[in-house]
Amino acid sequence: MFVHIRNLAFKYPNSKDNTINDFNLTIDQGEIISILGESGSGKSTILRLIAGLEMPTNGNIMVGDHCMCSNSTFTQPEKRGVGMVFQDYALFPHMTVEDNIKFGLQKWSRKDKKNRVGEVLELVNLEDYRKRYPFELSGGQQQRIALARALAPKPKLLLFDEPFSNLDADLQIRIREELRRIIKSTGVTSIFVTHDQDDSQALADRIVVLREGEVAQVGTAQEILGTDCNFADRMPVKPRVLSRV
Amino acid sequence: MKWFRSLKTTMNLWTVFSVIFVLLVLLPNLSIIVQFFAEPNENWLHIREYMLQNYIQNTLILVFFVGILTLFIGTSLAWIISAYDFPMRRFFQWGMILPLAIPPYIGAYTYHGILNYTGVIQTSLRNQFDVTVNQQYFNIMNMPGAIFILTIFLFPYVYTITKAFLARQSTALVENARILGSSSWRIYFRVVLPISRAAIIAGVSLVILEVLNDYGVVSYYGIQTFTTAIFQTWFGMGDLQSAVKLSGTLMVIVLGILVVERIARGRRQFSFTTTKVKLLQPVKLEGRKKWYAFSFCMFIFSIGFIIPVIQLIYWATMTYEQLFSHDFWQLIWNSVSVAFTASTIIVIMAVVISNFARLNRGMLAKTFPKITILGYSIPGAVIAVGVVTLFTALDRQLFGFYEWLGLEPTLLISTSLFMLVFAYVIRYLAVGYNSIESGFDRIGTNFTEASRMLGMSVTKSFFKVDMKLIRGAIFGGFILAFIDIMKELPLTLILRPFNFDTLATKAYQYAVDEMIQQAAIPSIFIILVSGIAIYVFHHVLEKE
Ligand SMILES: Nc1ncnc2c1ncn2[C@@H]1O[C@H](COP(=O)(O)OP(=O)(O)O)[C@@H](O)[C@H]1O
Ligand SMILES: [Mg+2]
Repeated sequence: MFVHIRNLAFKYPNSKDNTINDFNLTIDQGEIISILGESGSGKSTILRLIAGLEMPTNGNIMVGDHCMCSNSTFTQPEKRGVGMVFQDYALFPHMTVEDNIKFGLQKWSRKDKKNRVGEVLELVNLEDYRKRYPFELSGGQQQRIALARALAPKPKLLLFDEPFSNLDADLQIRIREELRRIIKSTGVTSIFVTHDQDDSQALADRIVVLREGEVAQVGTAQEILGTDCNFADRMPVKPRVLSRV
Repeated sequence: MKWFRSLKTTMNLWTVFSVIFVLLVLLPNLSIIVQFFAEPNENWLHIREYMLQNYIQNTLILVFFVGILTLFIGTSLAWIISAYDFPMRRFFQWGMILPLAIPPYIGAYTYHGILNYTGVIQTSLRNQFDVTVNQQYFNIMNMPGAIFILTIFLFPYVYTITKAFLARQSTALVENARILGSSSWRIYFRVVLPISRAAIIAGVSLVILEVLNDYGVVSYYGIQTFTTAIFQTWFGMGDLQSAVKLSGTLMVIVLGILVVERIARGRRQFSFTTTKVKLLQPVKLEGRKKWYAFSFCMFIFSIGFIIPVIQLIYWATMTYEQLFSHDFWQLIWNSVSVAFTASTIIVIMAVVISNFARLNRGMLAKTFPKITILGYSIPGAVIAVGVVTLFTALDRQLFGFYEWLGLEPTLLISTSLFMLVFAYVIRYLAVGYNSIESGFDRIGTNFTEASRMLGMSVTKSFFKVDMKLIRGAIFGGFILAFIDIMKELPLTLILRPFNFDTLATKAYQYAVDEMIQQAAIPSIFIILVSGIAIYVFHHVLEKE
């Protein structure tokens, strides 16, 4: 097992109940996991916990052989070697595409940096956009740059928060396929969060259904979306998938 | 173990420096509070018995009338200018802030100079019309005069805050009222005043705090208030201990006002809650009405800005040789260098504390911002007393150390510029802080988090990302603090080292010494710098 999350619990200081409750998950190396749940179920919070942007009240997280956090230790986010693509991409507006990507490569030599920028831009098919500023890119391009930036430092684990929520529907379908191709070609272990079953099905090797901060189901797309006929009752999301299978 | 983990991970330089800075802000105030409860001396008993009531009474009269008058002038201007279109409206939008460029003490002696026996009005009446007036009607150096001065130079606080609110938040309500055919007066009293309650209260509170802070106007006009009493007991009677008691009492009043403000505002915030703001469209006034609106604005603008400025320029033409004297340039250098130093420190402290507060959760992160802006509510004279008592105590502790160093064993820190700068920082930290905090609010924490996910520490993220993105806010905070410090009077009068003068103290000194014409050039300089800043800010803000 590459990623190991055990008994994770978390509570925002101003909320009454636990936002995340006894969350457990193991992930294989190179696997793509989707966390599927309705809005407010705690998906972003889980990603933030794994990233180290929040400190859990209980539980531990292992990535590779490294303990990211337990009740006695806590590794700062910048030391975790975990990458993240934010919902609104968070590309630095005052830097060019190239500088955005180089940002995560501070310890690399100048030449390696340059090569790596070329590599990841090729991967996302945007080699000609090096010198552009983020505001000069379309939404889809921004997203691919955000992906390139997150991939550049070769993270052990890559997190995506609702990667398609800011894209229009047809673009979403195209990019979904491409995203899976890119992730699989780099072999990076990834977790992405969504409220859309189609996304989960198209992208993920395994799906974790999250409800009110707890794991409701874990399994392949087939197991979760394909065979469970009661799913429509339990998931308030429109079960478009069922009609298509 | 868990709390230890928490402690360990949040304990970085940002936390450490935030704690130190906040303690620095707290210390002088604590120093007053501690000594407030010390055994009273005879003088204090005397003051309390015979004079305190008078101080309280005068202070409250000032606060009450200036509060009410600025409320009506500020809100009515805000309403007329945001809801109607009439000649010169675009200019008045920012022009109405300009009276703020004239510190009230400068306004006070300028108006006295205009109205007194040798002033332009009486001389013209005598020379042209052979009329000699009853001096009583032209005497401004009394309570109503002080109320007039403070009102006319402080109302822009209410005007700006209310106008910002009305322009963005009132659209739906006002448009509804218009459709229902309400008259403008009715809308003003029934809609505008109630919905902008929180904004108005915030503006009026600022005015009140400025009134409590004022020393120049009341002492020049000979009115006994808390600030003048603090000066008198301290410098007149040499009784610092009683000055501390007075300061403590004034602090209690200030805290009372802050509490009342909180309650009056209720849970309503006047911040802009919706991101989709619809701007209020001004209605074009026609015929006589448009000239009424214009005249009202022009009248206020004239007495709040044009008249005093023209008078000062006239005086300046009589004394312009000053400009070529070494002393005058020394004054500018003094003012600019202390203001520059203090504003730089303010900006650094504000950045550290606000960055800490936004990136952390928990008690400290919540309370630090509140403590940071505390100084702005506390009158300058009180801060001065706090700082002096703190530093003399410190000097006494260091007495042996000075001796050991072979220095003339004296009061080293408590007579230095260091103390003045320190006091400025405490008093105006809030000004820089608010600007920088709003800058941070605008960019959110996403960029910082993205930077950390790419391997940068909090500190590196700050320098490579956050600082670049809030440059404007940092610069804005610096300029605002700089201008406030240049204008500052009571703190500077008390804490300046021997023979150290700033533009503000010199202008005031000339006026007190009946050399009003001489005061003009330094005053104009202060007004010019503040005026330019107001212009630039308004035009930058408008674009955003
Ligand atoms: N900063 C925060 N402070 C307090 N509560 C929060 C915060 N962020 C999220 N929450 C609450 O935690 C719950 C889970 O939020 P989130 O993880 O953002 O859900 P999702 O990403 O699945 O939509 C929600 O009820 C939300 O209101
Ligand atoms: Mg979310």
